[in-house]
Amino acid sequence: MFLTINTDDARAIYQQVADGIKELIARGELGEGTALPPVRQLAADLGVNLNTIAIAYRELQKEGLITVRHGSGSVVASRTSNERQQSELLRPLRTALTELVLAGLSARKIQEIVAHELQTVTKGSAK
Amino acid sequence: MPMNKLILFYYVVLWGGSRLRGSVRRWKQPVVRGTDWFFNVRVQPGFYEGEGKSLLRRYRLRMLATAAVEAPIAVALIATGHIPYLGWLILASAIAVHVNHLFNVEAAERKARGFATPGEDQPVSAMLVPLETRRLRDYTNRTVERLIVFGSIFSVAWLVRFYLDSPSGHNFGMVFGMPIFLLYYQLGFLLMKNAVVQWSAPIPKMQAEEHLKAREERRKLYLHVADASRIMVTAGLVLWPFVVGAPEARRELFFKAHFVVLMAMAVIFGIWHEMGRNSVLKAALRANPVRMPDLLNAQPAGWPVCYQPATPTLLVRAARGYSLNLANRFTLLGAGYLAGFFALIMLLRMSQ
Repeated sequence: MFLTINTDDARAIYQQVADGIKELIARGELGEGTALPPVRQLAADLGVNLNTIAIAYRELQKEGLITVRHGSGSVVASRTSNERQQSELLRPLRTALTELVLAGLSARKIQEIVAHELQTVTKGSAK
Repeated sequence: MPMNKLILFYYVVLWGGSRLRGSVRRWKQPVVRGTDWFFNVRVQPGFYEGEGKSLLRRYRLRMLATAAVEAPIAVALIATGHIPYLGWLILASAIAVHVNHLFNVEAAERKARGFATPGEDQPVSAMLVPLETRRLRDYTNRTVERLIVFGSIFSVAWLVRFYLDSPSGHNFGMVFGMPIFLLYYQLGFLLMKNAVVQWSAPIPKMQAEEHLKAREERRKLYLHVADASRIMVTAGLVLWPFVVGAPEARRELFFKAHFVVLMAMAVIFGIWHEMGRNSVLKAALRANPVRMPDLLNAQPAGWPVCYQPATPTLLVRAARGYSLNLANRFTLLGAGYLAGFFALIMLLRMSQ
């Protein structure tokens, strides 16, 4: 199981790490209770500053996707413990849909894209 | 054969042979991928007729520098009868060879980049990072570990009982000196094994499988070296009671036998590791070398040692080669280990 990092990507490294882990959780490749590598190990593997990975993990923790247990590292949180508000969850979707509408795509095309992306994101997921 | 002659034999034949093999390997290393390459830099045609020739010569001369320092010291030790000190020379020389090689390759590659094929020397943009947690227990052979633990406990228990039977009749240093060192080496090799398990770096997305295979082959070899050394150390510990328990008149003979057994094991493991090196090389040749981007974006360290707590790596790029990061856990462990080693020597000397 790998995270892909691209230096040509406009997103910051910490964001790529956080997004990559989110994708793996969504696809079910990182199941509930799966341990994530320690911050130090992932930072060393990637050759980045410790703070870069710490920020990514903090973001995932803030979103309720991982839980940090002192002494035993970070693990993927249970989906039921994810208590984020629906309005909060819908915000990035609305932003993305707005971008697509502004790009001139038809509603039908947008629906196709969303369905395809949903299929890709949930590929392998049990839920 | 007197003990000094055995040590001399070990130094000249076995250590000399191993040094020669290592030198031949390092001699060929810049062109191991063919003459289109200089180490991991794809060079322009005609490189070896021009600047490459002198770069290659400089690399090879610098490679031989450690031998040029070691040889006169060895001759002086042998000529003055300080043959047992050859063991320390081997230890110092092994460290010097590896450190020198690290800096030598870095310097040679850095200079060769000026002659790289245009467009071929750019850092890759896409890379993969494994998300698995590497734990020591995943790389542990339980049977070997049990043998090491039981062998060590049995041997130490026997020695304690032997010593307590007649404390005034036995020399503490003679009974426990060697086992204490062997146990300390055991700890050192365990630390080394842990460092090898933790060792990693990103792999390029292109040819990811080949790069991953090359890395795992290398990790496997280093883990074998660590485990083989731990088995040797345990064998030395398990056989030690036979030496101290032998009748006074035959003790030297048993001591020599102990040394010869360990020497034989070192030779067998050495051959085994040389064979392992071939598969590491084969796997490495299947993966095209790439330059990884520097994501740390840190200022290169100006000194051979630095203190960068936010940098997770042991070595930090410096203006010339590398700088040892004193904030790294393994640097602290290594420094603590060395300090403990010298403290042990002092304590054992005081106990005699």
